Order: sequence, then C-alpha cells, then structure tokens
Amino acid sequence: MKKYIVILALSVLFLQTPKLVAFCGFYVAQAGAQIFNNKSEVIIVRDGERQTVTMLNDFKGELKQFAMVIPVPVVLKRSDIRVMEQSLFGSFDQYSAPRLVEYFDENPCYDYEAREDASLVRTNVAIVQKAGGISVRGNRDKVNIEAQYSIEEYEITILSAKESGGLEAWLKANGYSVPENAKEVLEPYIKDKMKFFAVKVNLEKAKKLNREFLRPIQIAFNTPKFMLPIRLGMANSTGDQDLVIYAFTKTGRVEAANYRTVEMPTAKRIPTFLRGEYANFYKDMFSVEYAHQGKNAVFVEYAWNVSPNWGVKCDPCVGNPPIVQDLINAGVSWIDQQNYTGNVFFTRLHVRYNRSQFPEDLTFIETPNTNTYQVRQILTHPATGNFECKEGVQYLSDLRTRRRLELEEMQALAGWKASDYPLYTELGKGDKIPSNEQEQEQQRNWIPLWISGGHRPPGWMLPILLILGIGAVVAFQKIRDKWFLSDL
Amino acid sequence: MPAEKHIQTDARFYQIAFQSAFLVFGTWVLGWQTEILRIAVVLTACLATQAVFVFMGKQQWHSLRSAFITGLGLSLLLRSTHIWVLVLAAVLAIGSKFIIRYNGKHIFNPANFGIAAVVLITGKAWISPGQWGSDVYYPISILIAGIIVLYKVQRTETGLVFLATLFLLEFGRRYVFLGWPFDLVIHRLSSGSLLVYALFMITDPMTTPNHRGARAIWAAVLAITTFILSWRFQIYEAPIWALLLITPFTPLFDAFFKAEKFNWFQYSTTHTKAI
Repeated sequence: MKKYIVILALSVLFLQTPKLVAFCGFYVAQAGAQIFNNKSEVIIVRDGERQTVTMLNDFKGELKQFAMVIPVPVVLKRSDIRVMEQSLFGSFDQYSAPRLVEYFDENPCYDYEAREDASLVRTNVAIVQKAGGISVRGNRDKVNIEAQYSIEEYEITILSAKESGGLEAWLKANGYSVPENAKEVLEPYIKDKMKFFAVKVNLEKAKKLNREFLRPIQIAFNTPKFMLPIRLGMANSTGDQDLVIYAFTKTGRVEAANYRTVEMPTAKRIPTFLRGEYANFYKDMFSVEYAHQGKNAVFVEYAWNVSPNWGVKCDPCVGNPPIVQDLINAGVSWIDQQNYTGNVFFTRLHVRYNRSQFPEDLTFIETPNTNTYQVRQILTHPATGNFECKEGVQYLSDLRTRRRLELEEMQALAGWKASDYPLYTELGKGDKIPSNEQEQEQQRNWIPLWISGGHRPPGWMLPILLILGIGAVVAFQKIRDKWFLSDL
Repeated sequence: MPAEKHIQTDARFYQIAFQSAFLVFGTWVLGWQTEILRIAVVLTACLATQAVFVFMGKQQWHSLRSAFITGLGLSLLLRSTHIWVLVLAAVLAIGSKFIIRYNGKHIFNPANFGIAAVVLITGKAWISPGQWGSDVYYPISILIAGIIVLYKVQRTETGLVFLATLFLLEFGRRYVFLGWPFDLVIHRLSSGSLLVYALFMITDPMTTPNHRGARAIWAAVLAITTFILSWRFQIYEAPIWALLLITPFTPLFDAFFKAEKFNWFQYSTTHTKAI
C-alpha cells in the first residue's frame, strides 16, 4: 500500500512540472487592462525627486462635459505639461499584461518530438480608462490662478486656494460640476499647500483633431512625496475603482508604503478550455484574489528589468518590449539613446480601491528589489494519437488526475465551479454543463480552502499563533524546571 | 532558589515566542518577501557572532537569547534579495553591541543598527512598512503581545508613550489641521510594522534609559523625531533613522536620571517576589 502511495505522489509531482522544459510555452492570450470597468491607468516615472506622471481617461460622454482636477505639489511650468499619444499606454499594457501560455504533451507511445504549432490568438487591446478626477460644472473667490495654458486640445488652469469653499465656487463658476462632498476632500490638499491642476477640453481644437479618445496628459515635477492622490477620485464614486500603475525606476520594484503589496498567483496550471476565455478568467481571478487578500492590497502584476541593454524581459513575452522611444516619452530621461545604457526597472501594479478600504492616498517606495515576476498561467494540451502501449495507459490515467487538479485550480483561482465541467476529467472538451450538485459542493467546502491549499489563511490565525507561543514558553519552562532544574 | 526563578521568568522567551509567531504569520499568511532559508541564515549569523564574543569572555551564554531576538527583529523588518546583505546586517548588529559601548552599556539598538547600516552602506536592502496591511486582528494582537512582554521587562511606559505621542502628533496634523477623516489617522497608526517597532524594538531594556521617567521623555523625543522625519522630509523609514539618532543620547539621560542598570534577571526576581 505504501509503495502505491509513493508512486501516485511521484506521478502527481511529475505532472506538476512542465514536460517540455526546454520550451517556455507558447504565448496564447493575455488579460490587458481594458477588461476592467471603472478604471484608470497611470504611468509614473521616478528619478530621485523628479516624477513624471502620465494619465489617461476613458471619458465616454460629450467632450464639453469633460473636466479633471488633480492635486499637484507645485505650480507646473508649460514645459512640464505634455499631451501624449494613447499608444504609449497600449504598448506598456500589452507588454506587462497577465499572460496565458500553452504546452503540448508528447504521445508516450511514439518516439518523436511531437509539437503542434500554437496559433497565436492575440486579444486586441483597445485601451479605455477613467481617471480619478472629478467631472464637473458652476462661482469663485479666494482662489489664485497660478497659470493658464492652452496645450493642444486641452485648456489647463493651475490653481491655488486659501480655502475649499472658494475653490469649489471657482470650479462651479467655470463649468466644473463639483460633487457634494468634494469640499472635505479638497480641504486637506489646500491646507497641505498643494496646487490644483484643472483640465478642460478646447472643443474647437478637439474637433479639428477628430479623435475618438481623449489623449493622455503628462505632467512632470519635483517632489519628495512619491504618491498618487486617489482620494479626490473617490469623492464622486462610492463603488470600487481599478487603477493600473506602470512604474519605472532606476533601481528596482516599486511597492506601496502604506498598503500591503502582494503578488498575484502565477504559474498555475489551468484547464485547456480556458484558452479563449483567459481575459474573463483573469477578471474573476483578480476579484477572487482581491477578496482573499482582504480588499486592501496592492497587486504586483509584472516586475522586470527593461533596460534597453538587458536581454530577456519576459518569459514568454506578450507584446513587443517597450522601445526606447516609449520609455523616453514616458519620462525615463536617464537612458542614453546612443549607447542604450541606463538601468530601467518596470513594475506593474493593480489596485482596486474604494473609500472604506483606502482611507489614505497611495504612497510608494522605490526598493532595490530586482526580483522578476509576471502573472503567467499554463495550459497543457494532451497528446493525440493512440495510446496502445504500457506507457500510454499510464499516461491516460495520469492525464485524468492532472485534469482534475486543473479544474480544482480553476475553482480556487477564479471561483468557476469545477463541477460545471464534468466531461473535462473524462478527457472530453470541457463543455460547460451547469451542475445542481449542491451536496457535492457542500462536501467539498467542508474543509476551508486555506487548509486544502491555495489560499491565504484567515487573519485570526495571528492571535492563535501568539497564544500558541505563550503555551510553548510555559510548557518549555515547566518541562525544564521539572526535568532539568529539579536537582539545583 | 533564586537562580531558578531568574531563568524561569526571563521575558526574552516571550519575545522569542511572539516574534517567531509574527514571522510565521507574515511568511505564511501575508506573503512577505522572505523565506525560511533567509530567516535561518540571519538567525545563524546572529547566534554565531554572539557566540564568538561569548567565547572571548565578553558575555555569558544566556546572551544568545538576545542575539536570537535580534535575528528575529532583522527577519521581521529587513528585506534584501541578497543573502550576504542579510548576513552583513546580522554581523554588524551583534558586533555593534560589543564594539560601540559607553559606560557598560551598548549604545545602539542592535537590530536597528544592523538595518540602518546595510540600507545606508549597500543600498541593496530595504524595509517594507506596508507589509502588514490593515486588518483589525493585527494591531490588537500585536498590541496585546507587546504589552505582555513590556510588562515583564518593565518597559510598558516606553512603548505606550511613544505610540501616544505619535498618535497626538498625527492626529493634530492630519485630523485637526489638514482635516482628513479620522480613519486615515487610525490607518497610519495601526500599521503592523510601526507597532512591532514601537513595542518590540525601541523598548530593548539595554538601549533605553535606566530611569523610568527618563524613558518616558526619551520615548516622546523619539516619537517627535520620527514625526518630523516622516512629515518634513518624507522619509518612509523614519522610525529607523529616528532611533539611530536618539539612542546615542541614552547615556546622557542616564547621567541626569540615576537608576540601576537593567538586568535580565533582577527584574524577574522582583516580579516573582511581588507575586
């Protein structure tokens, strides 16, 4: 009996390791930032105290309705503000998005290196996003207009204020619709001597440009505060908002200083029928992980050295690596264009925030952590042909076990019920057959997921561990006193 | 049998138990950027360095407990992708106890010195102040565990004065002056890293003043320094630098406020007698 268990355990182990180790899989799909609703995207480049922030809006209403207000630490000069092309975000998103790769099993009954070509199915990325500004309309006083610029299709005003009432009145008088509770959010920034960067669209110029989307705006300034103001964006929204941050530094990963930064689950083996559904799968996987991590974490989705002279930047790559020009456009000013020298580290962070879980603006630290990371899930296609040999029979049996594990992984990661795909373990295609097998589900859920594997144990484990600690000390002392010190 | 009683109530066992629990929890549940191998290496390096000084006759064997605590402190706070950086931190932390001394006491908090030194010298290490995240269980658990240990080493006032002063400063600035909602102040103060630092690091009996009143003043000064560094200079690891700046003044406090030096067993005895 023992022997049997060992063999089974080994075969599972073997199945857990990709068989075609030489290949790192064929990239099949990605889950880009566009799949999330109610979302903003931001590129932050941090070089010492120099910070370049590029923001993109997926504003879908009438252009004359568009307006955005962002707190900034200084009065920006005209040369510090640029209008960028949307493709910049597209290239960073595509390159760093969570990815799906596939492997192909070899038929154990043949002696050949069978490998089918993977047809690359690329999801087209149409970047849409929503910035955390307040959209707006309505008087004025005690407000200083520090500067006014007309840059391409945007009319930009930089304001400073003595008190929030005045700022609110000014915004209203100038056609910005201010949410009711904006005042209490504006106040702290005013008292902290922040300026306000207010943007509206110049309708005539916008018409001439004839664009479907509003182009991203880039601002650059010097500040010791490495932060992103998210509070203002929460003034007119009660629900969850997604924020994808593409951060570039000289030294290493960027992580949140005031929230927990965690990596998404990666290198998990999931069922092959998810091939065309990865974007939806990832969307649900993000929601599940977000909830499991307590709804207040910042997630790392990609971290890699993307220096122009650095070799491998992903494994496998989802899109073309960001070209030097993209990096320079984003504000990475330290690359030597001639010699391609300069160290650039790329971190992609994904935050889902709301007012109750994120009471404070996001602050960041630039760490020397250069560990590479990417969200990458794996499909393994079974071998084809006949299996009329001893190894073939074993293979089919292992395959069933593997497929059952893949289904369990799918359920743990994204909450998609394994029992909905009964044919998959029978080596069928995995058509969805919604099950009503409540009993079976209940039986499964009797053991919490964090014990059966995969998920994070609950927070109350901390007091339990501490009590165990006290118990250990008391027991240790009692035993020692009784057995070792009794002769003293 | 006073000797037995001494050992029996050595508060360091509780420190070891609690800090180990934090570390297990952080690695297992919170997904910290650390792993068992790294923790083992740091602990071994701390114990080995301490053992060298014990062999040289500078300390007694029971001091290995303190070295173990230093190792746990480093593992809880310091992060690096290079193992040699962690080893260096461990060696410098323990080494500083025997090399930088004044009036029979070491000057710097060993774990704090180790962290500050490698962050400054190598640039390959960092601390993750956000690593605990926010969850209602953490601050309460850390606070209770901290107070148990502080009560045993008679340093309760140090940890509490530090936290209270910092709370008043943050409350004054963020809530009263800037007008942020109260939950923002709570969010800042309930950081697990800050609580572990306040209750398990700064309260090291050997680097705090001997006199009780002096310790309260000392803790308040430390909190004010921390606040200034983080607010005026936007330094995220402000508590580490603040402690590095303040501990050298401990002998000054000791000179003005006379009291007996802390002894791991002396206080334990008083306890036992009192009970």
